[in-house]
Amino acid sequence: MRRLLWPSVALALAIAYPLLFSTPFQQRLGALVLLYAIAASAWNIVGGYAGQVSVGHVVFFGCGAYAAMGAYSHFALSPLVGIPAGIAASVAIAAVIGVPTLRLSGHYFSMATIAVAELVRLIVSDTDYLGGGVGLSGPTVPRNVFDLSFISALPYYYLFLTVLVLTLGITWWMADSRMGFYLRAIRDSERAARSLGAPASRIKLYAFMLSAGLTSVSGTLYAAMFGFVDPESGLGILISVKMLIMAALGGAGLLFGPLVGAAILVPLEEISNNLLGGNGAGLTFIVYGAIIVLIARFQPGGILTLLMRLSAKPGKTPDISSAAGAPHAP
Amino acid sequence: MRFKRVFGLLCAASISFVLAGAASAQDKTVKIGAVFPLSGNAASAGIHAKAAIETAMDIINNAHPELGNFPLAKNAGLAGLGGAKVEVVFADNQGSPATGQNQALRLITEEKVVALTGAYQSGITLTASAIAEKYGIPFVNGESTAANLTERGFKWFFRTTPIASDFAKVYFDFLTDMKAAGAKTDTIALVHDTTEYGTSVASVITSAFKEKGMAIAEDISYVVNATDVQSQVLQLKEKKPDVVIMVAYTSDAILYSKTMQALDYKPPMIIADDSGYSDPSFIKSVGKITQGVFNRSSWSVGPPGSPTAIIADMYKKRSGDEMDDTAGRQMQAFFVLCDAIDRAGSTDPAKIQAALKAIDLKPDQLMMGYKGIKFDEKGQNTLASGVIIQLQDGEHYVSVWPKATAEKAPIMPFKGW
Repeated sequence: MRRLLWPSVALALAIAYPLLFSTPFQQRLGALVLLYAIAASAWNIVGGYAGQVSVGHVVFFGCGAYAAMGAYSHFALSPLVGIPAGIAASVAIAAVIGVPTLRLSGHYFSMATIAVAELVRLIVSDTDYLGGGVGLSGPTVPRNVFDLSFISALPYYYLFLTVLVLTLGITWWMADSRMGFYLRAIRDSERAARSLGAPASRIKLYAFMLSAGLTSVSGTLYAAMFGFVDPESGLGILISVKMLIMAALGGAGLLFGPLVGAAILVPLEEISNNLLGGNGAGLTFIVYGAIIVLIARFQPGGILTLLMRLSAKPGKTPDISSAAGAPHAP
Repeated sequence: MRFKRVFGLLCAASISFVLAGAASAQDKTVKIGAVFPLSGNAASAGIHAKAAIETAMDIINNAHPELGNFPLAKNAGLAGLGGAKVEVVFADNQGSPATGQNQALRLITEEKVVALTGAYQSGITLTASAIAEKYGIPFVNGESTAANLTERGFKWFFRTTPIASDFAKVYFDFLTDMKAAGAKTDTIALVHDTTEYGTSVASVITSAFKEKGMAIAEDISYVVNATDVQSQVLQLKEKKPDVVIMVAYTSDAILYSKTMQALDYKPPMIIADDSGYSDPSFIKSVGKITQGVFNRSSWSVGPPGSPTAIIADMYKKRSGDEMDDTAGRQMQAFFVLCDAIDRAGSTDPAKIQAALKAIDLKPDQLMMGYKGIKFDEKGQNTLASGVIIQLQDGEHYVSVWPKATAEKAPIMPFKGW
């Protein structure tokens, strides 16, 4: 029962947040935190639990975003159609690129995923059907509620919250299943896991495909909210890096790590931009970067491990076993 | 007890007095939001845009009788609002469409701006203006040229800048005039890269010329950031077109000039499509071997003492750089927006929108070389236009067309080096 206490408190707080902070900007900020938390949680499955640091996840994000905007621009369908279409496309792509790249270990896997992501970005920039360098835009004036074009951020907020709860639910279920144990074993030592009979290649590929599908949903939601995608905003490598930093900062390989990371980084980025961005000195990124450096230096296991250690009762072993082998921020 | 009560009342009174004072002071400023890329890849453009807007603010908020009849310059503040000052809240879009939209939302809902301008990159202008449309806040753009921006059926989006189809018309009219003056313009070659910019401008020029019965004889494309363009230049040398239209970014423009010199090829006339050929680094490195190239611009400094020359001087003092076409177009959009607010005599967004719809500025009321400012129902300026400039001495561009506003007569043929 105690296990469910903190998640319930967090959920209650999340539901109440837009009522407590009711200005449009605060509500939008909340929605953005949830959106990035979805993406980072999806990344966490393969990057955190399986320990395969993918920097190419933006491909799947882009699949979802382009599927949503493509469904609208070419077929006049709701951007929501992008969810199944994006999932199908990204799971297929994950299967195709996962088989060769997941054989690589450590940095080589990360480098291969970067190469794939950049390749996809260049190809899309040259594909007229996908808008080329100009990009695709969504419905500007909503035809009905399924166009997901709202003035208020509230509908986005609760939609994203629902998807986040689902994503975390799937992650939790996966981590508790046989697959989760396999993944942790592979992360700690792939060779040892293989020698004990864990089907490492297959399990890694499943994790990669699951993660890809969920990342694609976050891409669709992003495109629906902002109503636009171009190669830079939908397939730029920085989006992958953002997912990675959020997960690592909060605690990679922990269920709530990415959410904690997003809840810290997104407001930090937006608020520092609000306060410092207007003077044009580029201070935003200096402040943002400095805070990341500090956290990486003093709490590389992520904020959540620090909180767990602090809340653990003295004399009792803290329950951070699942995070012990979490990869440090690269 | 009694003293406390009196004291409390006094406090309340003084607070409300202060608040009322603040409110009336607030009535005298008009808050406008400006979203620009102040960091990221395009930061240089954003910083220059900021300097341009600040120069415009100086002109509007302070009395500048030396600018003559230039709108909003003569007296301090906006006359239509009892001399209210214009205040601009700048926001950084960080080169991201998402950040641009977030910042536009913040400016509208937190800063309570009455209108917006920006956001440089077409993609960011698209997302930022979408939020302004939802909130019913006028958005005046002066520099984003993507055609789709004014094809969205928006009611609150206005664009003052000319777009590719306007430039194609400028080239056509210029060539027609040159032909009448005796120049040979029968065969035209179009050289462009394969980026979005290169292909879209080339296709617009080709179709616009075709419509008027002037065919493009040669269409030569190359990959951007080329390391060698000898085969393209040799192709030109062999075909001997009368006119070569160049659509190129800076590094390619420089390479073309050097290659033309190396292969000793001088076409009778070169017309460049802004971008690379307007870059100060192009003029510095190969200006001397590209003397006589024509270029398009909507900006020209004009004779000393003219309003444009004074504005260019003010801008240079603030930014440290020469006024260029992009900064000028941004400044012009900001002037148009402030002019509309002044005419509306109100900060009510709907009244500003109505004033923008009704605006009809004449060329002598503008700092840019447009034929005027008048928006169609899509929000595009129908009188947007450009002038043709020529790099006569290899160091400075001077305006040569149309005749009415030209500083000098065009020199033919292309001199080169």
